[in-house]
Amino acid sequence: MCASVKYSIRGPALIPRMKTKHRAYYITLFSIVLLGLIATGMFQFWPHSIESSGDWSVEKRSVRDVPVVRLPADSPVPERGDLSCRMHTCFDVYRCGFNPRNKIKVYIYPLKKYVGEAGVPVSSTISREYNELLTAISDSDYYTDDITRACLFVPSIDLLNQNSLRVKETAQALAQLSRWDRGTNHLLFNMLPGGPPDYNTALDVPRDRALLAGGGFSTWTYRQGYDVSIPVYSPLSAEVDLPEKGPGPRRYFLLSSQVALHPEYREDLAALQARHGEAVLVLDKCSNLSEGVPAARRRCHKQQAFEYPQVLQEATFCMVLRGARLGQAVLSDVLRAGCVPVIIADSYVLPFSEVLDWKRASVVVPEEKMLDVYSILQSIPRRQIEEMQRQARWFWEAYFQSIEAIALATLQIISDRVYPYAAISYEDWNDPPAVKWGSVSNPLFLPLIPPQSQGFTAIVLTYDRVESLFRVITEVSKVPSLSKLLVVWNNQNKNPPEDSLWPKIRVPLKVVRTAENKLSNRFFPYDEIETEAVLAIDDDIIMLTSDELQFGYEVWREFPDRLVGYPGRLHLWDHEMNKWKYESEWTNEVSMVLTGAAFYHKYFNYLYTYKMPGDIKNWVDAHMNCEDIAMNFLVANVTGKAVIKVTPRKKFKCPECTAIDGLSLDQTHMVERHWKRRRQWQPTPVLLPGKSHGWKSLVSYSPWGWEESDTTERLHFHFSLS
Amino acid sequence: MQSWRRKSLWLALSASWLLILLRVFPVLRLAEPARRQAGGPQGWPRWLDAELLQSFSQPGELLEYGPQAPRGGRCYREACFDASRCRGGSLKVFVYSAVGPISETPRKVLTSIEGSRYHTASAAEACLLVLVLSPDTPAGECHPALPQWDGGKNHLVLSLHPTPCLRIFQLGQAMVAEASPTVDTFRPGFDVALPLLPEAHPLRGGALGQLQQHSPLPGVALIAVAEERGGWRLARTNFSACPWDGRCEQDHGPKQTHPRATLPNATFCLIPGHSPDALHFLQALQVLAALQEMPLTRVLALRQQAQFLWDAYFSSIEKVIHTTLEIIQDRISGASAHPSLLWNSPPGALLALSTFSTSPSDFPFYHLQQGSRPLGRFSALIWVGAPGQPPLKLIQAVAGAQHCAQILVLWSSKKPPPPRWPETAVPLTVLDGHRKASDRFLPHSAIDTDAILSLDAHSSLSTSEVDFAFTVWQSFPERMVGFLTWSHFWDEAQGGWGYTGERTNEFSMVLTSAAFYHRYYHTLFTHSLPKALRTLADESPPCVDVLMNFLVAAVTKLPPIKVPYGPWHQEARPPPLAPGGPRFRAEPQPAAQDCLNQMAAGFGHMPLVSSRLRLDPVLFKDPVSVLRKKYRSLEKP
Repeated sequence: MCASVKYSIRGPALIPRMKTKHRAYYITLFSIVLLGLIATGMFQFWPHSIESSGDWSVEKRSVRDVPVVRLPADSPVPERGDLSCRMHTCFDVYRCGFNPRNKIKVYIYPLKKYVGEAGVPVSSTISREYNELLTAISDSDYYTDDITRACLFVPSIDLLNQNSLRVKETAQALAQLSRWDRGTNHLLFNMLPGGPPDYNTALDVPRDRALLAGGGFSTWTYRQGYDVSIPVYSPLSAEVDLPEKGPGPRRYFLLSSQVALHPEYREDLAALQARHGEAVLVLDKCSNLSEGVPAARRRCHKQQAFEYPQVLQEATFCMVLRGARLGQAVLSDVLRAGCVPVIIADSYVLPFSEVLDWKRASVVVPEEKMLDVYSILQSIPRRQIEEMQRQARWFWEAYFQSIEAIALATLQIISDRVYPYAAISYEDWNDPPAVKWGSVSNPLFLPLIPPQSQGFTAIVLTYDRVESLFRVITEVSKVPSLSKLLVVWNNQNKNPPEDSLWPKIRVPLKVVRTAENKLSNRFFPYDEIETEAVLAIDDDIIMLTSDELQFGYEVWREFPDRLVGYPGRLHLWDHEMNKWKYESEWTNEVSMVLTGAAFYHKYFNYLYTYKMPGDIKNWVDAHMNCEDIAMNFLVANVTGKAVIKVTPRKKFKCPECTAIDGLSLDQTHMVERHWKRRRQWQPTPVLLPGKSHGWKSLVSYSPWGWEESDTTERLHFHFSLS
Repeated sequence: MQSWRRKSLWLALSASWLLILLRVFPVLRLAEPARRQAGGPQGWPRWLDAELLQSFSQPGELLEYGPQAPRGGRCYREACFDASRCRGGSLKVFVYSAVGPISETPRKVLTSIEGSRYHTASAAEACLLVLVLSPDTPAGECHPALPQWDGGKNHLVLSLHPTPCLRIFQLGQAMVAEASPTVDTFRPGFDVALPLLPEAHPLRGGALGQLQQHSPLPGVALIAVAEERGGWRLARTNFSACPWDGRCEQDHGPKQTHPRATLPNATFCLIPGHSPDALHFLQALQVLAALQEMPLTRVLALRQQAQFLWDAYFSSIEKVIHTTLEIIQDRISGASAHPSLLWNSPPGALLALSTFSTSPSDFPFYHLQQGSRPLGRFSALIWVGAPGQPPLKLIQAVAGAQHCAQILVLWSSKKPPPPRWPETAVPLTVLDGHRKASDRFLPHSAIDTDAILSLDAHSSLSTSEVDFAFTVWQSFPERMVGFLTWSHFWDEAQGGWGYTGERTNEFSMVLTSAAFYHRYYHTLFTHSLPKALRTLADESPPCVDVLMNFLVAAVTKLPPIKVPYGPWHQEARPPPLAPGGPRFRAEPQPAAQDCLNQMAAGFGHMPLVSSRLRLDPVLFKDPVSVLRKKYRSLEKP
């Protein structure tokens, strides 16, 4: 963007400076361009026309052109559905071995027109919705056109509505599919099952072992863990534009918008309305519709007419009662309006209930308690209702709003069953984006205090300050809990000192030579690190005594998910410069600790090296700076927690002071000294209420784009500079 | 003139470029699918004649017509249980007592049910009647005569170990809770699946999980496969085929076998089902490769979650039984059931009572996941015991705190409270106590803040100390933040637990005579603790402190937090009085030592965790000017 703008500004300015001798050059250029134009034109008319005609026929065919298949009257009919089918009994996973990304591969049979012996079509032509569904699958990652690699097969026979097909002949058509094999690994989609008078809750077409994605299962027909319960798609989803309405109390508490309900339910609804008055609105068909308004878009209460589905946005709760079928398209409309569905349909298996947590978005009331529904709903706290309203809208957006959403969710569920170890988590299915964005799931969430016996690994990053490095090694090696010392030799031009020159210490000492002088080498998850606790220490930090380091390790054990360090730093919002500022003065609060001497969990090394968002790691390596800020941001970002600062006894950055550490070391003074020091090293809480800025900026921008994150959080700090 | 020509030239140039761009790009785009075509037809065709495609249903059809299925009639799975018998939506459980001698496990089950807060002794009052089956009941005696049986309605048949009775029994409408049920007989949403527990599973407490660190130890095997003969086979590297078909036997690769009793040191344990094909099944799915490539983040999450589930629901028979009842209670509650988050993150649904709230941000445990934070105010709850002296100085100190919302005085003295109280900046309410020590932990409805500052009439605190402690609490809302501490220790000589208030280098309890904690712990204290323990606390007041600390430690599995407390307070405090009097002293009374052991027995284990640190303000005792420090008076009165 930036570049193109610059050029367009500079362009006209060049013209006045053009010399006459350049004219020839421009004329040549112009003619080349002209030639190019002619060539393009020719290209477009000549080779392209031949290629595109074949292309055209693939991409856009006519329904009229499909081959016709005549089914003999005695062609085989599959067995009725096998109710005992489960994934491990009726599904052949051996066909799912080809899984480059732990996703099943789906094949769609080519479209054919099936006719009975008399030439009567088996079903009406493919419906718009089924066409959309197959298109969605073919455009997705699941699709394969190679029948030998497919794990799941979808016939192009439209079964969405049982009323528009002939049951026996459709079954015969299924049975002659090339890979049918008793329906193994075949997936059938159906939204309106059954037919008058008894309305079965699952598709009546005999289908043997085929999986059924059905809209209206009852617990009696649903094969748990095998079938998939899907929504009944509401055509209004595409027809009507209904913008999201925020959660909160609405005009009506409870609304029933369904028409053609059983008289018994009508009576109950009327009783509810009589008892609770204005808060309950019961709608029905309109008796005198004006011309041109589709009946599906109007509902009436007495003489008052309401626009449907807009009226749903006026209610907090909306009834979804069973009709002739259990699955009702009104559920989709209700969710879309952000109205909490009250589902009164005993034994109904809610759409995608295998993965969706309907408790968060709906209230299920047994049919026999229908008259008590008002008091049941009244007892739900307001906060929970608002949560449910948000959740309802999110379910619609993610899984109900289009045929494509329904198809992909169905395939995802089946795929997750086949590859459970790569399955999508509960949170991914159920948490609305706002929750995902605003919440933190600490990767080290289990409260535990690692045993002291484990010890820690010290990692010293060094370049060439050998003398100071040896002093650090000697001091650190006195820490009782040290279990290994790792020296990261970052100097490629100079060899580390010979083995004999290194200080003799009681724990293993390893020198790792790096290929490049990069700061991120200090945070690499070396195989040599065998403990969970890591002490990162610079080769010039000689002022920390072994007692102080040991205490730092003790503190880390109680807070293993935090950075525990000695000198602290603070980030501040500079109102004058309008950007973040780094503060290293004595302040009443700190938000970072220097990684020149800090304990942390080795998992953060893994995160720093492999999962650091954006370009941060490269920036740090290029500028040879700020690696501690990057690490602090990273930890705050993934854990949502602040650092812990351990107060060193002496002022930091004062190597001379160490030399004159006056306390004697004889046994009698040991106990007293121990006690005194401990009192002074108490860790200091650093309070970043909620999330730090680091948290926000790391997710959305690199930390160097700090200006863009908001500053409101800052006001909640409880310490202030005095 | 020249400039005009140049201008036109420039115009022509840009126009031609524009033309080229417009022309070439569509050509390129169209040319692309033609190249792909070599691989055969791509995707599902887009039909030219969309008008031929009808909608899958007519609007009238979606609006529904025709008759509907009649109500009632058949027994729907959920409807087989008559929830209306549970008055007020709360579960009441009656358990049939055993006839004749019963073995160890069923007796533990009976004890657990009787210890549940849902238990009732009257069958008429109950809405769930539990029949515990014993594995050693002979098949002939499977039909006890139960007067309330009624076709099994509102009954739960429970068996922790497989028993022949379950296959013979006429279950009717009764729910079944059994270990490892098969898919064919299990009715989802109605029956309850239990874990298959070892014979000697403890009644209470149970061994804590063995996980000592978050990440797997380096160098441990990736996977251990359970062998049919017993024992484990470890597969470390290069196991593309080895673990599956037994070719490991000839393989010289690193492999070890362990006896079945000791768990293998591996990241994953694979227990193939009974089917001989099970291993081939896993091989076909390339499970091993998937496990090997699993990101570290997910491995850590799985480890921790498995450990959490064990600790929360599996480690004792009591937990298994209480979980079963909680699941049934959730089915009855409908909208006020535990949200999924409460079941699936620490401390688990048994310790996060849905009667307190169904909104996770009301609890102290879920602020991170919810992106919320506790309310920024606290209520001071001052307990006034026997002498009945209004703690005027303390009230002034607390009322001056920055975030104090209100002061509640719990008057537990025989003397009547004074008619007039000092004027304070925040509202002051006097609550009438019942002179029981556990009164102070009742979930008083007057407490409307998340944080409670629990105080005794004789506590001595400065405003600065309160301010700082509250800031600390906001960072650790699930823990107790206190000033004075006790520590517990194992007394070899006595063969029991002891505790001391002496200054040591570690502590594990904070005194509730001056401590911040979340108001949820009042609900938990009153509604989840066994009655016996609360009675014990009432009889010996210092035990109340111990009990509260036990409870919070059992929930958080973490130590409490200590904040600085001026040494000058201790000199000023009044001399210790008799039991039942003021309890603001560092040293626990010898008579109370024993409550530690009784509580540990009641919990089934010792939940207390020790800490060695105290949290100080950042500049505490730092060599900077005192004027720069926010909490100056913490260092000097």
